[in-house]
Amino acid sequence: MSPAPKPAEGSRAEHSPDVDEVDFFRDDGLVADPYPYFDALRGQCPVRREPHHGVVMVTGYDEAVQVFQDSGTFSSCISVTGPFPGFPVPLEGGDVTALIEAHRDQLPMSDQLPTLDPPVHTAHRALLMKLITPRRLKENEACMWTLADRLLDEFLAGDEGEFISGFAGPFTLLVIADLLGVPGADLEEFTQALQHRPADHGIGSTGEDSLTHSPLEFLYARFAAYVQDRRREPRGDVLTGLATATFPDGSVPDVADVVRIAANLFSAGQETTVRLLSSAVKVIAERPAIQRRLREERDLIPNFIEEALRTESPVKGDFRLARVPAAVGGVDLPAGTTVMVLNGAANRDPRRFADPAAFDAARANARHHLAFGRGIHTCPGAPLARAEARVAIERILDRTAAIQVSQSAHGPASDRRYRYLPTFILRGLTRLYLEFTPAGEQPR
Amino acid sequence: MKAAVDDDRCRGHGICCTLCPQVFTLTDDGYTVVQTPEVPAEFEQAVRAAVGSCPEQAITVS
Repeated sequence: MSPAPKPAEGSRAEHSPDVDEVDFFRDDGLVADPYPYFDALRGQCPVRREPHHGVVMVTGYDEAVQVFQDSGTFSSCISVTGPFPGFPVPLEGGDVTALIEAHRDQLPMSDQLPTLDPPVHTAHRALLMKLITPRRLKENEACMWTLADRLLDEFLAGDEGEFISGFAGPFTLLVIADLLGVPGADLEEFTQALQHRPADHGIGSTGEDSLTHSPLEFLYARFAAYVQDRRREPRGDVLTGLATATFPDGSVPDVADVVRIAANLFSAGQETTVRLLSSAVKVIAERPAIQRRLREERDLIPNFIEEALRTESPVKGDFRLARVPAAVGGVDLPAGTTVMVLNGAANRDPRRFADPAAFDAARANARHHLAFGRGIHTCPGAPLARAEARVAIERILDRTAAIQVSQSAHGPASDRRYRYLPTFILRGLTRLYLEFTPAGEQPR
Repeated sequence: MKAAVDDDRCRGHGICCTLCPQVFTLTDDGYTVVQTPEVPAEFEQAVRAAVGSCPEQAITVS
């Protein structure tokens, strides 16, 4: 199905005052539940400009795929920053490619993989893929089972606990540390440096981020030291593999290139997976019928995880910049247009997913979701995140007889209170308080 | 049309298997194999979509 024919963008298709009153990027009101806004936008047009910052919001599934797959037309230089701070010079003319190339280095995070375009992106992504090889991922998964149990020993010792700080945060952090071969002796320091940071201090928060003493700075320093050390004195460990990996053309990357990619795995892979785990476990705790079914039909867990990704995509969306004029879903976009592709909205497009707001653990096409994006920037850690979620849920179900949401923390079932990350990029709970009955005891 | 997957590049995203399960399947290890190298005409469009969607650009058609 295609969207209703829509005249060139900017003309007078129906404008609902409600939709235009809302500033998606500044309005805290949308943090708790952005989905009615996404639905309202899509209802008017799956490709629609919001008036506050002039960003074209892509809320339709096919339209999102089209933008993601066309990296020739759409640059990723602004992918994580969008309109803030915006492009340093006015984007005028019918082809802004030269302006992008001249100024992209001035944009925030311009050295990070998500903001790169081919051919630089191609080489750097290939380097990353050498670090997370299938063999390495397999070894890493073996470690996940042990890690999960070790953390659950402590987390399940009482009969209640806060899931994000008590399990999801340390679990995802230690998994990535293991993947990259961080020595056991350094793990405590990593946990200290990376765990305690304010939830609103990251990409998508619009304040002036000072990176002084940031987790990123810590990672850069540690990995630079590891890489230099292993280049000087190779050992048989994973960090040596990281230090000696080469670009596809055989050239040796600068230490800084390797360090950036290692740091990127933490910054892009940890926070997002925490949100996936917490939204999946929230469904398990909130929905007794789904919990019972998962306990009885463990084969359903992978599809359940896909449905959790579809309904609560940890990345709400990211940005692209049109180099040249483009038509998306029948809407004309001039060169220089900032586009936000909303994964979280495309994943609830009723033209693709029947009854899209309903959580159906057995939904046949759940895996079609765009939570990991599409095309050349597809989340490289998707297989890792899926494995983490599967292992965590398997072991949590094994080791509990019942899990429920804490009423004292989140209110009664009829009136729950949850808080979500106050950013326009990430979607997820800040805290999830649970009560549980350990396996072998009678559920209360 | 013939389809092939480069084993060294595939990272098991599984997008191709989602877009065209008649041609691409995941192994027990979680990586893609081409089940039907000679692509039937009715699936050519889906295979082209898979080529364009592959994050690792691991699929080729000839």
